[in-house]
Amino acid sequence: MFHYIMRRVLIMIPTLIVISAVIFTIIKLPPGDYLSSYIETLRQSHEAVDEQKIAFLRAQFHLDEPAWKQYLYWVSGFIRGDLGYSALYDLPVSQVVGDKLLLTFIVSFSTIVFTWIVAFPIGVYSATHQYSLSDYGLTLLGFLGLATPNFLLALVLLYFANVHFGISIGGLMDPQYLDKPWTIAKGVSVLKHLWIPVLVIGAAGTAGMIRRLRANLLDELQKQYFVTARAKGLSPFRALIKYPLRMSLNPFIADIGALLPHVISGAAVVSVVLSLPTTGPMLLDALRSQDMYLAGSFLMFMAALTVVGVFLSDLALAWLDPRIRLEGGVTR
Amino acid sequence: MRKLLPLLAAICLAAPPAAVLGEELELKETPGLEEAVKDGTLPPVTERVPTAPLVVRPTEPGTPGGTLRLLMASAKDTRMMVVYGYTRLVTYTPDYKVVPDIAQSVDVENDRIFTFHLRPGHKWSDGHPFTAEDFRYWFEDVASNKKLYTAGLPEQMMVDGKGPAFEVIDSETVRYTWAKPNPMFLPALAGPDPLYIYAPMHYMRQFNAKYTDEKTLDELVKQNHVRNWAAMHTKLFHPYHTDNPDLPVLDPWVLKTKPPAEQFVFERNPYFHRVDPAGRQLPYIDKVALVIADSKIIPAKTGAGETDLQARYLRFDNYTFLKDAEDHNDYTVRLWRTAPGAQLALYPNLNVTDAAWRRLNRDVRFRRALSLAIDRHEINQAIYYGLAVEGQNTVLTESPLYDPAYRTAWASYDPKQASRLLDEIGLTKRDASGIRLLPDGQPLEIVIENAGESTEQSDVLELIRDTWAEVGIHLFSKPSQLDIWRRRVYSGATMMSVDKGVEDGLVSADMPPDDFVPTTQAQVQWPMWGQYLETKGKSGEAVDIPDVQELQKLYKAWFAAKDSDERAEVWRKILKIHADDVFSIGLIAGVPQPVVVSNKLHNVPQEGIFNWVPGAFFGYYHMDTFWLTPDGSNQASTASPKG
Amino acid sequence: MTGTPQAIAEAADRAERLPHYVAPEPFDPHSIEKMTAEQERYYLASQWRMMWWKLKRHRLAVISGAVLMVLYGSILISEFLAPYALNSRHDDFIFAPPQHIHLFQDGRFVGPHVLGYDYRLDMKTLKRVYTPNPAKVEPLRFFCHGDPYWYWGLVQSDIHLLCAADGGTAFLLGTDRLGRDMLSRILYGARVSLTIGIVGISISFVIGLTLGGLAGYYGGWIDSLVQRLIEIIRSFPELPLWMALSATLPVNWSPLLVYFGITLILGMIDWTGLGRAVRSKLLALREEDFATAAMLMGASPRRIIVRHLLPSFMSHLIASATLSIPSMILGETALSFLGLGLRPPITSWGVLLNEAQNINVVALYPWLMLPVVPVIITVLAFNFLGDGLRDAADPYR
Repeated sequence: MFHYIMRRVLIMIPTLIVISAVIFTIIKLPPGDYLSSYIETLRQSHEAVDEQKIAFLRAQFHLDEPAWKQYLYWVSGFIRGDLGYSALYDLPVSQVVGDKLLLTFIVSFSTIVFTWIVAFPIGVYSATHQYSLSDYGLTLLGFLGLATPNFLLALVLLYFANVHFGISIGGLMDPQYLDKPWTIAKGVSVLKHLWIPVLVIGAAGTAGMIRRLRANLLDELQKQYFVTARAKGLSPFRALIKYPLRMSLNPFIADIGALLPHVISGAAVVSVVLSLPTTGPMLLDALRSQDMYLAGSFLMFMAALTVVGVFLSDLALAWLDPRIRLEGGVTR
Repeated sequence: MRKLLPLLAAICLAAPPAAVLGEELELKETPGLEEAVKDGTLPPVTERVPTAPLVVRPTEPGTPGGTLRLLMASAKDTRMMVVYGYTRLVTYTPDYKVVPDIAQSVDVENDRIFTFHLRPGHKWSDGHPFTAEDFRYWFEDVASNKKLYTAGLPEQMMVDGKGPAFEVIDSETVRYTWAKPNPMFLPALAGPDPLYIYAPMHYMRQFNAKYTDEKTLDELVKQNHVRNWAAMHTKLFHPYHTDNPDLPVLDPWVLKTKPPAEQFVFERNPYFHRVDPAGRQLPYIDKVALVIADSKIIPAKTGAGETDLQARYLRFDNYTFLKDAEDHNDYTVRLWRTAPGAQLALYPNLNVTDAAWRRLNRDVRFRRALSLAIDRHEINQAIYYGLAVEGQNTVLTESPLYDPAYRTAWASYDPKQASRLLDEIGLTKRDASGIRLLPDGQPLEIVIENAGESTEQSDVLELIRDTWAEVGIHLFSKPSQLDIWRRRVYSGATMMSVDKGVEDGLVSADMPPDDFVPTTQAQVQWPMWGQYLETKGKSGEAVDIPDVQELQKLYKAWFAAKDSDERAEVWRKILKIHADDVFSIGLIAGVPQPVVVSNKLHNVPQEGIFNWVPGAFFGYYHMDTFWLTPDGSNQASTASPKG
Repeated sequence: MTGTPQAIAEAADRAERLPHYVAPEPFDPHSIEKMTAEQERYYLASQWRMMWWKLKRHRLAVISGAVLMVLYGSILISEFLAPYALNSRHDDFIFAPPQHIHLFQDGRFVGPHVLGYDYRLDMKTLKRVYTPNPAKVEPLRFFCHGDPYWYWGLVQSDIHLLCAADGGTAFLLGTDRLGRDMLSRILYGARVSLTIGIVGISISFVIGLTLGGLAGYYGGWIDSLVQRLIEIIRSFPELPLWMALSATLPVNWSPLLVYFGITLILGMIDWTGLGRAVRSKLLALREEDFATAAMLMGASPRRIIVRHLLPSFMSHLIASATLSIPSMILGETALSFLGLGLRPPITSWGVLLNEAQNINVVALYPWLMLPVVPVIITVLAFNFLGDGLRDAADPYR
């Protein structure tokens, strides 16, 4: 066990280094840099280009130095915990991100909870009543969320929520609660706005979960122990809950680690449409304007979270399943 | 010798109105600040307003109070409050006169000696006096400080490479003297994003190495996450890109929210220098709240009634939706006009590197043919409901320099003549689908590149594609991204672009003809010539077409001109050359701009011009005189006539 | 009394005298194993036939398969099916709502026709108002001559399945802001959107098979490397990858090349799932006896992988691939939304949806959102077909 952990931790470090290099390359890949797009935006709107500001920005972000040096500046700051300075927002990255993290977690967490609440009963029902009409119907419903382009769905829901329920368009709360301390009224307002993003983002995830739950459960339902349980006289419902369901949950726990980047990505497009103050639109803007520190540090943060998350869930799995521990090293 | 008579006349007319009106102006305390005055945190209004405030006559006298809601797309849009507030040393009026605003009066001698008389008792937004010291601080300790202004004085203050001589005459008078005339100076001061020649010394000095010791500076530098004191000074002194709530300003509303935030609140400046004829200090509105939302969603939010005054981020194609939503909301949609010389224009790149296209683009017959083969009427009807003005990229009807001949030159729809011109050039061979062939056998396929940011451009190009196909030209539209497209233009890789026309179609003779002459790389029809002039010959290419060389000569002549009439002459010659040479193929102009105004908001003109220069959008309609019906009252705003 | 020795001897005597039949023919071992025709068919069926039979039971998958065949078939004859040519526009019918097909007029059967529009521009709201005029009966023509087109860019023709009456209009799904018929645009857009999925999946298939196969077969450091690579790609949010890769596409590429570039990008990011599945399957299978036998017989690794190992789970792979196609199609729409993918003047469902992505459309011209219907149908169809294939490929059920 210990060897397994050590090995994984040691492998994690070069992985993170490679990820950081990939992130850096990806952000630098489009031609030009932050300053060039900033200058062109100013020119397009006929605003004066402040030469001092440009010169300072260039020096501050080391944009006049070779790429590898810029990479080193960024990584050295990152390791020390200094996420750097965002050119786009003119603020330290930690301030920009920190502001939005709470709301991002609220949205992501609610989405995951929603996905489970919807997918679970449908998946179980679908597996136990295979090929029935209701199976087809429920599966269709679950998959409908996957099939609809989420940005269009978000816009339509936004409009109808406003026309029929009077909910203010976009954002996560009514404007009067912005930047104010948390109260019951503010919480209620957030809930009223939350259901649209949760519905749109979660809808795509439910289909995948339904399918996997259904497949796993079907597998388990064939097995001997379940047949035995039924033969012993256990009611179908209790037999289902007590044995196969627990077994089929394994992959879900293992999957959580990989869930994170997916929720961030899917959330970004919908967040842009709904104008949510979360990290998704911020990331998008940062990537578009090539704000190296904001985009890079945030992506690095997310990637590190994911790698650690995968490691932890693998650990949990290894603790559960001895075969995984002993595997590794090849006989060939 | 006094030569700028009209300008001076305007200036002198704006002299202390109390004297002109012949009555004592009785100042009334601002209702929102009464509490603070009673507490003693603020001095009474008689001490807050300068001894000789600027009296602004509103269309309808207003009630102070209320919060105005605006929608913006990013934190950087806080600069819009500086634009809308439009408080400058001198400002433009809706009839293009330059009048003093912050300055009480300006004496101009020969266009090269400018004396500004400040208002006695004028204070910054934190109560400190606004005096000539602030000008001195800026000129000597900021602009002339090599560490802060590495490139030297701003361009608009340099004439022939030399800056002005700066003198402080007394605590309320400063003078700038140049050796040669500097007609760019006042327009730069009055611009929407102005040249600031003053800075709050009492606040900024703590960040300046000349006045503060190193230890304190180092502390502050660390706190502000910057590299050195110069970076910190620059970062904290953003009078235009307001992001520092502590910075004292002279604008009507002062930023109170520190970024980052989803909503920025501006509160009234207790020391604002303008009053209405009844003696009430302006602005009427107490607070302005800017809510930040994604720009694509702003039309939807406007249609849901979440804003009181909105024009930015609303486009003409949103009008129908907004008008429809009027029934459920408490606002009306007005249609103002925009003022660029053309909403859209095609720009053949005269500096394109490909030899064949270079030859064609430089051939005036080619450009004329392209222009004649466009059905502007169809574009107007299909996309703008016939409300736009068809024609070339030139000055608009309201401009004193307007001549119908400029707009209609080569702008009719005449495919036969276009065909003839193309045949004349030698493009007579056609391929199987009817497209003409270049001399080397390639089809005449014009790739028009653009920033790809609006469907409007791709729609218009669709329409043009069909009419050009009739004369044998194949149009290919290539949307890309803003900075990529621009860089391709600068390097000569693009053969033609589509973009907005000249920014200001309402020029008068006294405004510099920058947009019509190669002055900057940013001009997409001659980027390299513009770059050559911008960098003073260090990069780019020298102009080698006689007509454009003529334009350059005329540009110099404008600067050397002695009075307005001479300048007007120069302008007319420039405009005539453009009309003949069709350097840019204008399509339509005067596209209406929807402006959503809450029914509770008064003094917003029913019809107006919404443009960057010279109007600063809402700026020269005096946003400080807009006022909101107090809650509980039934007053609906009567739409005021054109302001 | 039956157990006494005397009784037993008497029973044996009696048994001896019972008839004892012995068949004359020699024993034919195959007779025991002989099957009925039905059983024989089943026994001799190949893996693929069995899969097909199982698939037929899954009705939803069969229906989906049929729908997809119709959709892909329509791509071949888009020009014929569409009432108008791709670029034809009508200045007089901008933002026209869909015209309904009527069969009866005043109780009489007239045949399929639409009612012509009366057009009025409301200058106060700047709204185009179209009212169907019962007097303007415009019968639809079939197999008629309409807008000319170049069939696949090669042959010129002008025969359409359905066109408007002479001088009339047939906007069955309405028009957009330049007066282009939506039905035609959707039919033409299918060409790009449907093929992106196929081409993209082929690319990711190839990459996934190669890398996953190598990792699974050789193991060791190759396996570690590929696993790390997969982990890196998977731990990345898709968005930045898309953005960065799309930004690298040179600006001066023709739309066709851009299209292939987009599919390449989508394929290059999508192969990880497949790669992992191949790897794990291969790791298990190469220990099997038949693989060892092939190796002992001297087969090269490539032959072992391709000829022996892969066919064992090819069905599973195909099912996985089918399930990945929808994400390609949706990925294309998402890329268009971000402004990174296909742009006008190319027509694809993603481009059409992007043009519908604003409040004007949702509030005033909702028919412009109709391209979402074929997207949903296609994605659902692929999902159900993939589910059916996977269930069918599963040997345990």
